[in-house]
Amino acid sequence: MFITFALITLLGALGMLLQKNVIVAGLFMVAAFFGVAGLFVLLANPVAAALQVIVYTGAIMVLVLFVIMMLNSHEEEKAQSSRPVQRWVSVALVTALAFGAVKLVLASPGLKALAQSGAALPEAMTLQKVGVTLFADHLLGFEVAGLLLLAAMIGAVALTKRNL
Amino acid sequence: MTGMDAILQGGLQGYLVVALLLFAIGLAAVLLRRTLLMQFMGVELMLNAANVALLAFARFRGGDSQATVFYLFIIAVAACEAAVGLALVIGLYRHRDTTDSDRAASLKQ
Repeated sequence: MFITFALITLLGALGMLLQKNVIVAGLFMVAAFFGVAGLFVLLANPVAAALQVIVYTGAIMVLVLFVIMMLNSHEEEKAQSSRPVQRWVSVALVTALAFGAVKLVLASPGLKALAQSGAALPEAMTLQKVGVTLFADHLLGFEVAGLLLLAAMIGAVALTKRNL
Repeated sequence: MTGMDAILQGGLQGYLVVALLLFAIGLAAVLLRRTLLMQFMGVELMLNAANVALLAFARFRGGDSQATVFYLFIIAVAACEAAVGLALVIGLYRHRDTTDSDRAASLKQ
C-alpha cells in the first residue's frame, strides 16, 4: 500500500517537472497531491488527508489551473538565453542534496530507534482531538491565521484590480 | 527491519525518503523551469514534502494531535501564498505580457 501511494506521489511530481504543457503539468500535480493524501491515510491521519484533498487539489490547484487558462500560457516561452552553466549547476546541486539527505536518513541510528519504538499504529486522528488541541493550545495562532487569510484576500484583490 | 525493507514497507525512513525526493523535485522545478506558474507549483511541492515529514514523525511518536494543528497552520499559509503569488503573476502579465521569470529580470519597464 505504502509503495503504491509513494509511487503515485513521486511519479506525479516527476511528470510535473518534465512536462512541457503547463496544464498537463498541473494535472500531474493533482495526482501527486492525491498520492500525498493517501500517504496521510496510511499515517493514521484521515483528517490531514481530507484537508489535503479539499485545500490542495480542491482549492489551490483549481486556482492555478484557472490562472494558466486565463493567461493562456500553456507552453513555456522560448528561452532568451539557454544558460547551460546555471542549469548544470542546479541539476548537480539537486541530485547531491537528494542523494546526501537520503543517505543520511538511511544511516541514522536515531531514526531507526524511533521507527522501532513507534512501530505500533496509533489511534486514528479524529477531528475532535484536532479541534480540542487547536482551541485549547493554539487559540492565538488560529486567530492570526484567520487575519492572515483576510489580509491575503484583500492583497490579492488589490494586486489584480487595475485602478483601485 | 533492514534499511531497504523499512523503505518498502512504509517505516519512518520510507516516508522521510519520499519527503526528501518530493522536496528535491520541487526544488528542481523552481531552478530549472522558467514559467512562473511551474515554479509556483514547485514551491507547493516543497511545502507538501515538509508536511509529509512532519506527519510521519507525529505518527511514529504515538499520533500527536499537535502535528495536525501545525499542518492546519501550514496549509493556511500555503493558501495565502497561493492567492498573493498568483495575483503577482497576473500583475506581471499585465505589465510585461509574459509569465517567464527570465524576462522579468529588471525593475524598470
